[in-house]
Amino acid sequence: MHSNGHSAHEGQAALATAAAVQQNLQQRHEKSGNMFRLAVLFSAGLLVLGVIGFILRIADGVSDTAMWGYYAAAFAFVLSTAVAAPMVAIAPRIAKAHWRRPISRIAELFGIVGIFNLLLFIPLIWVLPPLDNGRRTLWFFDMVGEPVPNYSPHIWATLAILALAAVGVMLLWVSALPDFAALRDRTTGRKQKMYAWLARGWYGTTQQWHMQKHRLGILGAFYFMMFIFVHFLITVDFLMALVPGWIDALYPVTHAASALQAGAASVIIVMVILRQWGGYKEYIGLDQFWGLGKLLFALSLLWIWFWFSSFNIFWFGRKPNEISVLELFIKGPYLPLFYAVFVLSFAFPLFFMIWNPIRKSIWGPTVLAVGVLIGIFLDRIRMYVAGYSVADQSPLHAMDHVPVANKPDIADIFILFGAIGGSILIYLLASRLIPIVSIWEQKELLLYKLHKPFHRTHVRVMGKPD
Amino acid sequence: MMPKMQFKRSVIGLFQPGSEDTVADSMDALKAGGYTEHEYELLTGTPYPEGTFGEAEPKHSLFRYPLIGAACGFIIGLILTSGTQLAYPLITGGKPVLSIPPMAIIMYEGTMLGAILFTVLGIIIESRLPRLFMGAYDTRITEGWIGVTVTTTEDRIGKAEEILRKSGAREVKRGWEKS
Repeated sequence: MHSNGHSAHEGQAALATAAAVQQNLQQRHEKSGNMFRLAVLFSAGLLVLGVIGFILRIADGVSDTAMWGYYAAAFAFVLSTAVAAPMVAIAPRIAKAHWRRPISRIAELFGIVGIFNLLLFIPLIWVLPPLDNGRRTLWFFDMVGEPVPNYSPHIWATLAILALAAVGVMLLWVSALPDFAALRDRTTGRKQKMYAWLARGWYGTTQQWHMQKHRLGILGAFYFMMFIFVHFLITVDFLMALVPGWIDALYPVTHAASALQAGAASVIIVMVILRQWGGYKEYIGLDQFWGLGKLLFALSLLWIWFWFSSFNIFWFGRKPNEISVLELFIKGPYLPLFYAVFVLSFAFPLFFMIWNPIRKSIWGPTVLAVGVLIGIFLDRIRMYVAGYSVADQSPLHAMDHVPVANKPDIADIFILFGAIGGSILIYLLASRLIPIVSIWEQKELLLYKLHKPFHRTHVRVMGKPD
Repeated sequence: MMPKMQFKRSVIGLFQPGSEDTVADSMDALKAGGYTEHEYELLTGTPYPEGTFGEAEPKHSLFRYPLIGAACGFIIGLILTSGTQLAYPLITGGKPVLSIPPMAIIMYEGTMLGAILFTVLGIIIESRLPRLFMGAYDTRITEGWIGVTVTTTEDRIGKAEEILRKSGAREVKRGWEKS
């Protein structure tokens, strides 16, 4: 056993044969307890509230952009958490890290929430004013004619989000193909027909395994490329262009990096739920929390790097437009939110994760992940609500005044609940169809894992495929 | 005179988990018995490292789809941006008519959309056509058993069964058939 006290079996399946792993994980997949049903009902209730909130909001029309700030923040929060989570599966798979095996499906399953994110995006197409309102954008739409269509940001952002959602679903499906085949072989009736349709003739030939490996690599690379691009388009067109005088080349990547941080935090929270209450304790252990905790720690450091680099330019520049941007987002009405974001997204992860006992534990990364998620939630409210509140000034070169903080009304609160509830509901329902722990990857692990005596202890020897 | 139609039949030799070397030997025996690599195939429930059973590395053409899609998307993006700017040659802010930075945004998205669209299509096309005639199969494959299927003409199937049995298959099963 490892001298640090945790069982060599903890975190990796104690089951020694492929048949046992298959049977064990399939049983867990097919079992859904009262807690699951309660979670479905609760998240469905939140979604209903969200729909009510949306109806209340749309009843007032879309012409007042400031009223849609919380809606845009809800959309950006889902984009920054659920849609970022599949990256947690992609990067360690490329690095051939074994610790990701029990959690890669947890992350990939978030890909299906991309469809919900796409639906959330649709109303924003109407909310964002066309380019002819006179604001300055990257689209060269100005006084000298119409070199680009009036709705260019709307068209290109929609295409990009559509492509991202498609790649996310495709990635999940290709990854789950061998598991669909295994479930096809062990179910009957309608379920078998459904899994046979989803498995698309998967029988585990050498050619099929080879193809799947390459498809996962290609789709993972595309997901990453589209993910960054979607964050670029959303921040530039649906946020920065609405704020007069906000010219910051770093903000799109700041948005994307903090989304990766929130994506890692989301996966950690699902991991702890599955471990503590989902019956997956033998699969999800310290290795997974430790691995992802290190990633969360690194991404928290990136947060301060990007934020400070942007802040410095504005603080030293001190032009009127730069002073008003700092006033709007940091020093002015949203200062309490900024403090909360700074502490939760950067200070807490830095000052707690430097300690080995916290970093290398189950609850340390979990508590900090909850903090990071709250931090990113507040950050998206701070940026989008503040940004949308000055959209009426967007044709100016600099804000002529910074409005007071836009506090949420009942419709906004319902919309925020609905966006979170809808994402959770879709994830929960998808987990009934697709095993939440990848069966084939757990079986593959058996080929590379060996426990052997080493002098006066036992060690785990892990092989790595070329 | 019309040649006699050759019916294809398929058999699977099932090997217990952990008998990788025996499986590799059986594939060698099939090769020595005159069966080509197109006639026999390995079925596993997990992705073994390439070459574990001495099998040939499979070839795939998936990379062609994103490459062709990316090239089409890039060309469309290039034509769209340069075409509109040349059609309306307006100098904006002293910048050249054909300015690379704004064109790059659309060309990047065009490239990505083309590559993704073609990849998705490629995956759908290739997934629907693993082959029309699957051959013999056993559900124990997904429990860790290893299968070697031989799909060949009717007159050669008996010999294949014999080779599989002799080389250590725990069970040899006949699959469904197709003319």
